[in-house]
Amino acid sequence: MTSLALTVRETLRYRGAIGQWSWVLHRLTGVGVVLFLALHVIDTSWAVFYPDLYVKAIAAYQSPLFTIGEFGLVFAVVYHAFNGIRIAIFDWKPELWRHQAQAAVAVLVLTLLVLAPVFLGMLSHVIDFYFTEAAIAGDKMLDVVVFSIIEQLPFIAGFVGVLAAAIVLAAVYSLISGAGPASAPKASPVERFWWSFMRVSGILILPLVFGHLALMHVVQGVFDITAAQTVAGTMASNGSIGVVPSAVEFVYHRWSYAAGGVFFWRVYDLFLLVLVTLHGFNGLRYVLTDYTSFSPFARRTAVALCTVTAAVLLAVGAAALFVPLEKDIIDEAMAATAEIYELRGEELPAALEAFLDQDL
Amino acid sequence: MDVTFKIRRQNPDVPGQEKPYWQEFELADVDPTDRVLEMLHRIKWEQDGSLSLRRSCAHGVCGSDAMRINGVNRLACKILIRDLGERVQVEPILGLPVVKDLIVDMEPFFDHYKRVMPYFVNNDPLPEDGRERLQTQADRERFDDSTKCILCACCTTSCPSFWANGQYVGPAAIVGAHRFIFDSRDQAGQERLNTLSEPNGVWRCRTIFNCTPACPRDIEVTKAIGEVKLAISKGANVSFL
Repeated sequence: MTSLALTVRETLRYRGAIGQWSWVLHRLTGVGVVLFLALHVIDTSWAVFYPDLYVKAIAAYQSPLFTIGEFGLVFAVVYHAFNGIRIAIFDWKPELWRHQAQAAVAVLVLTLLVLAPVFLGMLSHVIDFYFTEAAIAGDKMLDVVVFSIIEQLPFIAGFVGVLAAAIVLAAVYSLISGAGPASAPKASPVERFWWSFMRVSGILILPLVFGHLALMHVVQGVFDITAAQTVAGTMASNGSIGVVPSAVEFVYHRWSYAAGGVFFWRVYDLFLLVLVTLHGFNGLRYVLTDYTSFSPFARRTAVALCTVTAAVLLAVGAAALFVPLEKDIIDEAMAATAEIYELRGEELPAALEAFLDQDL
Repeated sequence: MDVTFKIRRQNPDVPGQEKPYWQEFELADVDPTDRVLEMLHRIKWEQDGSLSLRRSCAHGVCGSDAMRINGVNRLACKILIRDLGERVQVEPILGLPVVKDLIVDMEPFFDHYKRVMPYFVNNDPLPEDGRERLQTQADRERFDDSTKCILCACCTTSCPSFWANGQYVGPAAIVGAHRFIFDSRDQAGQERLNTLSEPNGVWRCRTIFNCTPACPRDIEVTKAIGEVKLAISKGANVSFL
């Protein structure tokens, strides 16, 4: 912790130029995005495995707190992407270094230029939701969020479990290899590989991530996931299977959409999952190992934490993408949808009420 | 002009001064073209003889008096008062243990430097005439920039990666390695690249660019580090045993 505290304090005190602040922003946005990624992969897998939890998670995402977070997320992704390109350029062409400061300014300008229309698009969804669809009282909204988070406590326990697993792994490794920095550090092709991977994967995921953000946050925002609309990127309409539209059905249509015999969005999401998870958690490993050099045990825990979390996310995410979709999950989502209506103090749509009665 | 100096002081041997603290000194009749080093001398000679600093040649050649001056690493003997203004803040460079006041222990810095074998290696017999090993002007030009290093540690102690992790070899050692890796007459480039491909080698560089403007010799430090990274990344023949 001292290493991190010292670096934070002295980074604020040292009058480094714009390159230093670009690095600070790159780290902050990277860590922010990777934390969201963990949440996002887990909760999206619920659409398949725990449809009722997914409905509640999306309901929580439709609350003001998460709306602010969504704007922050989009800023973080866009800035991180552009600054990552800047870093890759100067790593591959070191002789261009004299332009790095201009490039850092260009990254900021480009980020703002891209974000202006994007934020306007996102804002229009927010305005639509609050002024034309469902104006929800603040206290009711808080109920929805608290309720949703309590329902998801087992998964927070899961993250604690991952942390515990990392500590155990690090301890076991320390026991086997001896506690201290026993052997002299060796030249390793591993770091060379990851250095290249970060740059190549960063550029590969750029079109994938921007496409994903455009479809899921601008064309259709988080509020449209539960709206009776054609699901972006598919031909199907949300609510065509279930009695009312639901977040689960939204995912169902996307992952059922096949073009030329290929489940287009499943393949797309698989590439996204693998590349972003590896890029994100290796980046997190960089950040964590930079500040844990004082203790071999802390450093190993950091590495194990990144490895275990990435492995869990890849496994859970891939499982959700490969599992055959059953229409039952949409029915299962209906009960949870009804609960959300009740929490919000809204009347159940007649069709939903009839559906639930018949079910009972 | 009058200038206020605010100096970060610390003396492990004197009770009450073990922890770093700031002390201010007022200086009158300062010429804008005076250098910070001369002003530190005036403070030491006229006001407080206990102020400790390191300097040798006092002309920007030996690299003894690197300090953080107004928030940026500089040589005290090269920076003029007119470039700093009426308030000057001086503190030791960061990331190396403070011995006293502005003096830091340079040993960890030199240990990193030694690890990259900063000397010429060529085991071939000398040329027939017994004189120098020749190389073209273009070959000499290849590493000209990195020969300028005076080992002042301005670059290494401006690096946030080094602040966070003192085991990182740091910019100066990489520049020192660059000097020989890209020398066509040298034969130990591969060993140096192997050393620098360790986890605490060049890969801890996050391309922050603090080192380049910190260099009092205007060495293109980040560029040199970038070239070493590329040499490792592209060099398929790097041995990892």
